[in-house]
Amino acid sequence: MNCEEYREAIAADPAFDGGVSHVAGCSDCQAYQREMQSLNLRIAKAMLVDVPELKMPELPDIDTSGVTSLPTPKRSMKPVWFAIAATVVLATSISVRMSGVFESDYSLADDVLAHIDHEPGSLRASNAAVSDDRLVRAVPASLATYERGESLITYAQPCVINGNSVPHLVIRGQYGPVTILLMPDEKVAEATPIEGANVKGVILPVGDGSIAIVGGRDEPLEAIKKNVLNSVTWTT
Amino acid sequence: MTSSSIQGERRQRFDSLVSVFYQDMYRFAAWLSRDKAIAEDVVQEALLRAWKSLDALRDDDAAKPWLLTIVRRENARYFEKRRLETVDIDNLSASQAALLAESPNEELDDLRTAIFGLDDDYREPLVLQVLMGYSTSEIAEMMGLKQGAVLTRLHRARHKLKDSVEQ
Repeated sequence: MNCEEYREAIAADPAFDGGVSHVAGCSDCQAYQREMQSLNLRIAKAMLVDVPELKMPELPDIDTSGVTSLPTPKRSMKPVWFAIAATVVLATSISVRMSGVFESDYSLADDVLAHIDHEPGSLRASNAAVSDDRLVRAVPASLATYERGESLITYAQPCVINGNSVPHLVIRGQYGPVTILLMPDEKVAEATPIEGANVKGVILPVGDGSIAIVGGRDEPLEAIKKNVLNSVTWTT
Repeated sequence: MTSSSIQGERRQRFDSLVSVFYQDMYRFAAWLSRDKAIAEDVVQEALLRAWKSLDALRDDDAAKPWLLTIVRRENARYFEKRRLETVDIDNLSASQAALLAESPNEELDDLRTAIFGLDDDYREPLVLQVLMGYSTSEIAEMMGLKQGAVLTRLHRARHKLKDSVEQ
């Protein structure tokens, strides 16, 4: 691959991860890559126009006589289905709380734990890093940027929690996988501890959003927290 | 299962999908039409069409591209029906100008104006890639193009934007 081919590829897709050997030895192409990635981030910000409140049109009754049941939700790594289920659970929880039947302590920390429980595949130990392409798809420039730094990112998936897009990353920690959920739309007032059956972690306030970091009980999270906070920039 | 409970489940499923993807639908429509008022109309029509054909969506994991494809078709239908002329960037209507007049950041304003001025052929794949997070092969499928054509359009779009903001 020569300079022209590399630059065409990176201008077409700033997440292009080919041409590694060429770019490693070409400072001009390294500069061009940085320029394109920076331009891409600014394009994403420029495209984020304000969205008016949803006005649902009047929906006509549909003849469902031929419909026996809805598609069965699959219990697997299916972020959208899980998000819908989580939304329903949350809505139910809120309505129960509002009805005064009992005092619920449902929280964002519960959402985070439930989400991790429902994506068990994300916690498989791995030494393989996800590609840049995969990372960019999980963390779209319209939400945030995530600098890899020295972390080995082994899992990257765009997910939804409480109806909001949440990039779900897993990095390799000292004793096992560590989950990172980037939640630009979930504001928390202060650092909130997370305690699960075999995991512990924290939800950190970051600007108008928050970041959840969850690892095994023995995992030292302090250094990871610092690295993650240095790696993430919201673009929303 | 009774008809009313099927209707209720259907409505719940629809509301859940819309709550997750409404923002993407609106922003896609806004950048396709380059007009906030038209984008609202297009999204209303798209929601209605999606509601009517919801049972055709068998897998909710595919909901986002399904909804965006509906928005894309509704936008094309809107412009076909009205035979609207090409947008003249020096003579914008209020709702066209509204798309450009939101950022307090001058550099972003310039970039937004440059995106606004891109031809549809360049702007659409760029929105799908940058804002919606699709790969070039997925964009090719959605737009009915070869992947090479998408790569060329994206490459040219970024160069046009780069030139515009550097001027």
